[in-house]
Amino acid sequence: MYYDLSIVRAATPGQIKLPPMSRRQLLGTTAAVALAAGVMTTAFGRRALAAAGFSDDQKLTLLRVARDVYPHETLLDNAPYQAVIDAIIAEAGKDAKVADLVNAGLADLEKRSNATYKSNYVAVKDPLQREGILRQIELTDFFQKIRGGLLFGLYNNKALYPKFGYDGSSWEKGGFINDPSFGKVDWLNL
Amino acid sequence: MAAAKFDLADDSVVVIVGSGAGGGTMAHELSAKGIKCVVLEAGKTLTMDDIENDEWAMFMKISWLDKRYSGGTWHGSVNHPNLPAWIVKGLGGSTVHWAAVSLRYQPHEFKMLTTTGGVPGANIADWPVTYDEMKPYYDKAELKMGVTGDVTGMSHLPWSSDFKVLAEGARRIGYNKITAGPMAINSKERDGRPACQQIGFCMQGCKIGAKWSTLYSELPRAVDSGNCEIRTNCMVLKVEHDKSGKVTGVVYADKDGKQQVQKAKVVCVAGNSIESPRLLLNSASSMYPDGLANSSGQVGKNYMTHMTGGVYAVMPGKVHQNRGTQVAGIVRDEAHHDAKRGFVGGYTLEKLTLGLGFLSAFMVPGPTGWGHKVSGALEKYDQTSGVWICGEDLPQEQNGIELHKTEKDQYGLPVPIVKKTDHPNDTNMRNHAYKQMASIYDSLGSKEIWNLPAYPASHNMGTNRMSAKAKDGVVNSYGQSHDIKNLFVSDGSQFVTSASCNPTLTIVALAIRQAEYLADQLKKGAI
Repeated sequence: MYYDLSIVRAATPGQIKLPPMSRRQLLGTTAAVALAAGVMTTAFGRRALAAAGFSDDQKLTLLRVARDVYPHETLLDNAPYQAVIDAIIAEAGKDAKVADLVNAGLADLEKRSNATYKSNYVAVKDPLQREGILRQIELTDFFQKIRGGLLFGLYNNKALYPKFGYDGSSWEKGGFINDPSFGKVDWLNL
Repeated sequence: MAAAKFDLADDSVVVIVGSGAGGGTMAHELSAKGIKCVVLEAGKTLTMDDIENDEWAMFMKISWLDKRYSGGTWHGSVNHPNLPAWIVKGLGGSTVHWAAVSLRYQPHEFKMLTTTGGVPGANIADWPVTYDEMKPYYDKAELKMGVTGDVTGMSHLPWSSDFKVLAEGARRIGYNKITAGPMAINSKERDGRPACQQIGFCMQGCKIGAKWSTLYSELPRAVDSGNCEIRTNCMVLKVEHDKSGKVTGVVYADKDGKQQVQKAKVVCVAGNSIESPRLLLNSASSMYPDGLANSSGQVGKNYMTHMTGGVYAVMPGKVHQNRGTQVAGIVRDEAHHDAKRGFVGGYTLEKLTLGLGFLSAFMVPGPTGWGHKVSGALEKYDQTSGVWICGEDLPQEQNGIELHKTEKDQYGLPVPIVKKTDHPNDTNMRNHAYKQMASIYDSLGSKEIWNLPAYPASHNMGTNRMSAKAKDGVVNSYGQSHDIKNLFVSDGSQFVTSASCNPTLTIVALAIRQAEYLADQLKKGAI
């Protein structure tokens, strides 16, 4: 017999409301950035609204940047990266400040890329060279918006957990106490 | 018995501020002795239905996210500028989030001044209570919480794959203090709570209640006694006092933001080591211009978080770190004091599971944590094993809780600035731990080892320290204010030094002892 949890259950059920928080306040606490970026729901499936105002080249560059922030060349296809970018594009379509941030961020990126390699960003072949260009801008809001979105879109995305060997929620299946893998180590002489 | 309801004007009650390890335990202990109490919890009621196996979802649901600033020179002042501490705002407090490691202080850890002879730049003192005096309360705490080990007779939890790997590496470098406990997690059904199912999300709130938490262990029993009323969404703003200097009650903002005054015979402050000193400082009056209980000037000083860090390594084979309790075992071979290692005090190595969400965020915390090395390591998540380092953090005057001069929070209170700077002792100890962990993982064939800096602090201690003499600290060995006899501090802010172990068991043991003392004092009419 388990202890009566009625006091806990009886009191006001429902959503736990979060205190209002500015984006600034959350910024820097890693993945919380993604919440501020507002990409969670879109990254999880709801299709982003049609893009407005960005050229095909710009969209391609955004996707290339996303793939370079957290590269998984063979593990992941474009879809989860594109979902994050689509969400930012959709947000830019509704919020001029975001559109400005992205436009200015891309222009700055191309300027730096051309200064170092006389080439647009996407045409720089060596991924380590592209990472180097991104390191120059890693503390900008533009970069952090993309990174924050990706932290959620890639690593807090339940559909992708199996690709990384992460199981996620386990209580529904009774945890791992009776799982054949529990406590097994097959590569080490214990 | 019907739940009690007390009038705001009822000045016979004990008001307890906070419902975590300290406050929740006080509520149960006092109400079981027939003492009427009102618990004021700043956060919301949590139900078991709110608990999910999802790191970020639970982070957003339960964390204390009111405005705070990280100060001092620790990396968090840049990387976690508004999250100095990782603690809970909700019913049950941080016992919802804790990992359940239930180590006792070692006898010498209650007298670090005597043990070390003092360290320049640190404010080390002996506790005004000894291990021998604490032992019976540790025993009671272990029985109450259901800690695996000799006192309850409950065996430690089974070893997960990940812990077996750590244990083998530790053995290979000559360590032998390697155990899967003591943990306040049931290894069998006990006290109305089920046995652990190795779900792997202890710190997101145990979904089945196998882990001890005041949320479902102490608080329902306090209410069932008929002597305790719990009010959630009630943030205490100020402790009030009369002309004689005794406290008379508290002002709080209720769930609608309306200010209320609850009268009280005694006030027990248990809001964790940031909120408790903040409340005492915010209660300054013409009689107590530096804040309540602060004649020593030590309120808000000596803030300790533990010397911490993490080490994660990619193993040659699978470890499935998430398949088992988050802290599946501990290694204590460096927990002793031996100044020859280049630092005083010791540290414990605790195997710690991070899910994919948290590992991606904390492997290299802050805005620079990206790139092909990070993403490459994350592709080997199921081969990655890691520990959290929990070492003695020295009390320093410069580390503490200060009030922002201009900025106010949603309650109109000055925002707290939480200042933390390493003492050289912390740096030496952390480097020693990194080196030992590198040896352990190297012995297992790992070719990729990541040293992680401190997380936002879940262990917050020391900001209302105990002392034998009133001039040296805020409270006596029972947590009673030196200055105001009917004001108590009931949480980890009483700690004098931080030891090499997680604080919750000691907070609970101190609360049991405080409740006994308080009941006795009330009976004698001494308060």
